[in-house]
Amino acid sequence: MTENRATPASGSIMVVGGGISGLTTALEAAEVGYEVFVVEKNPYLGGRVAQLNQYFPKLCPPTCGLEINFRRIKDNPKIKYFTLAEVENVSGGPGAYEVTVRLNPRYVNENCTCCGDCADACQAEIPNEFNFGMDRSKGAYLPFEMAFPSRYVLSPQIIGTEDAKRCQEACKYAAVDLEMTSKTLTLSVGAIVWATGWEPYDAAKIDNLGYGRYANIITNMMLERLASPNGPTKGKILRPSDDAEPKSVAFVQCAGSRDENHLPYCSYICCMASLKHATYIRERYPDAKIFIFYIDLRAPGYRYEKFYKKIKEDKNVFFIKGKVAEVQQAADNHQITVVAENAVTGEKIRQTVDLVVLATGMQPTAAINRPPVSDLCYTEDGFIVNDFEKGGMFGAGCANKPADVVSSNQNATGMALKAIQTLVKR
Amino acid sequence: MADKYLVEPDVGFIKELGVLGGDSLKKCFQCATCSVVCPISPDTKPFPRKEMIAASWGLKDKLIGNGDIWLCHNCGDCSTKCPRGAKPGDVLSAIRMYAIGHYGGFPKLGALINDPKKLPVVAAIPAVLFLVIGMILKMFGIDWLNFSPERVYTSAADVEGHIAHAQFFSTWLVDLIFVPLSIWVVAVFALGLKRFVADIHANALAEKKTDKQNIDPKEFVQALIRVIPTILKHKKFSECTENDERATPHMMVFFSFIGLAIVTGIFFVVLYVFGIHGPYSQINPVKILANVSGIALILGGLLMIKNRLDKKEEQQTTYKDWFLIGLVLGLGVTGMLAQLTRLADAAFLTYLIYYIHLMFVFVLFMFLPFSKLAHLVYRTVAMAYNEYAGRK
Repeated sequence: MTENRATPASGSIMVVGGGISGLTTALEAAEVGYEVFVVEKNPYLGGRVAQLNQYFPKLCPPTCGLEINFRRIKDNPKIKYFTLAEVENVSGGPGAYEVTVRLNPRYVNENCTCCGDCADACQAEIPNEFNFGMDRSKGAYLPFEMAFPSRYVLSPQIIGTEDAKRCQEACKYAAVDLEMTSKTLTLSVGAIVWATGWEPYDAAKIDNLGYGRYANIITNMMLERLASPNGPTKGKILRPSDDAEPKSVAFVQCAGSRDENHLPYCSYICCMASLKHATYIRERYPDAKIFIFYIDLRAPGYRYEKFYKKIKEDKNVFFIKGKVAEVQQAADNHQITVVAENAVTGEKIRQTVDLVVLATGMQPTAAINRPPVSDLCYTEDGFIVNDFEKGGMFGAGCANKPADVVSSNQNATGMALKAIQTLVKR
Repeated sequence: MADKYLVEPDVGFIKELGVLGGDSLKKCFQCATCSVVCPISPDTKPFPRKEMIAASWGLKDKLIGNGDIWLCHNCGDCSTKCPRGAKPGDVLSAIRMYAIGHYGGFPKLGALINDPKKLPVVAAIPAVLFLVIGMILKMFGIDWLNFSPERVYTSAADVEGHIAHAQFFSTWLVDLIFVPLSIWVVAVFALGLKRFVADIHANALAEKKTDKQNIDPKEFVQALIRVIPTILKHKKFSECTENDERATPHMMVFFSFIGLAIVTGIFFVVLYVFGIHGPYSQINPVKILANVSGIALILGGLLMIKNRLDKKEEQQTTYKDWFLIGLVLGLGVTGMLAQLTRLADAAFLTYLIYYIHLMFVFVLFMFLPFSKLAHLVYRTVAMAYNEYAGRK
């Protein structure tokens, strides 16, 4: 005798944010039978993970994992996703929310085959945000090669210009639709998971570390783009001032993290990220010297500890306990000298290098753009504090705490369950 | 790093630093930002990161005999940039105050000026002492403290006459009190400095900050002379970025003290060598110097208060700081008011204010080796040592 014990799948779940956490929550909930709406503000899904070159500690490309998730989304009729979409208003309570979502125009419809003719026709160039402005893309562009949905976008900046017309004329498939306008739609959902993710902390605010003043000081996320095969340098790590191959690189840990003047908390991932970045550089430049300046190196757990130990064996990687607090640029060759006190020897160290990477931390997106709802609770720093008693709305992934991809996914899976519980309790 | 070092924390010392304004020290997590952002910290064994860990471990001996704490001019750049709010600037200031107490000796006297509740006792010492000495002298027929002072007539034409403070509180009485007091101050400093120099030298050798094995007195004095321009010009202060506005009021107070010391010296000679009694003419150049110094002292004191109040968040101001600023300002204000009320011919008022002024001067002198003002001696000597030892 079999008994149908499946929970009646009633009510839907909204996931705000289509990064790795949002995708996980959406898939976990949808794959047990719930209807899920994913609302993503970018023209593509995948979020920050899509910008990474490799995951730590396995050093595999994230696109591989993303592809699997995209496949699952495509195959699952329970998931509806909206890109270029933002939540405008939320009313109601747990079990019965009315959410107004604004859909911004993409100016490209589903006919798009990604042939790229529109981009060829477009003359205007815009800063490429996906690559942190290190290169420029055409006004009609595909956010990145693996973008999902794989469809071009027209930047609002070229709308109304001759370029827009040129794009439309160039398209053989009538995919460019300049008449598109922004639309709002209202969705009824029982639970909302906020997976709004994080922003790299604005390094220009750390005035003693020279970012924005000196070209050869970049951030860790910029290095990810430089190392990525689909990045601005096609995977070559070159120093910005003259595109030379760096012979020495300094990593400045806790750049803005664990600092009351910036982000008072540990961003959790930056130590592992810099250790991973050391492998990027060592792989490309076998003679390059790497200097990692840290307060404490945090490689939590067995697998991360093992990764750290492996990097430590490398004769060309030097670890210096002491935070960089001053930088100088050489006038002639744009080399950067970082200054720290080695707290083990008690001597100041002035290390001159070709490239400096600031290991900037993560700031929750909600700290900069608060979700338009009143009944979410935040920490002082803008992370969402989950109230499981009340239920209905939850923060997942890095909207909830600074975390790596693994922890984000675990957390996001848990939040899928919490969202389902909200629906079932009703 | 191979040598074993047994840490013996002095918990009482840590607590005492907290009272002196260093209660933030436990927040330090040794990132060493402070040593790098400090504009005057050297490259070898820079401060104040090492002082911060020694302080939180309660290593009193490593700190009070460490000349580096005196090289710090409390710019405040370290406290501003500190990621934890551990305020190294305030901690070093507290360590210096502790060191002053340590080298000053006479812990009971030192304790009097670090406790606001004891302020009435501090004020009572000169008030009572002046009266008692005055009364005792009266018993022997010496009328140096005269409660119904007569007016002074400079010439036959001077019919009305004028007030002279010496008629009330004789210069003989003043000097009977202040000359021995000055000798006592010098003696206390001499005893303190003997231990101080030995300790900072031992510390410099232990921390390999110097190659000099012994201290050569002649060379040391030469080094002292070499650092004087740096001190006069407040060169170290002007290297500060965060607190650079502090240099001006400090300079005003500093030079007014020098000015007033010169005035006192000249008038001492004028009185005892040439036998000319005050009050002196308002247009006498020495008198002008006295007045300019007095005004600078008052303005400098007021500016110091303003800066401290503006910087409440960034910099702790504890009783030790208010005591000294209060003393400086009180000294200037009572001195100036005593003169103005004298010129205005307000007899009772001017004698009263003059009496209070003498109390301020007495407290300044008597507690000089124990108050924050002692930094003028210890910092100067530490800077001279630093110059002599060629601190790397």
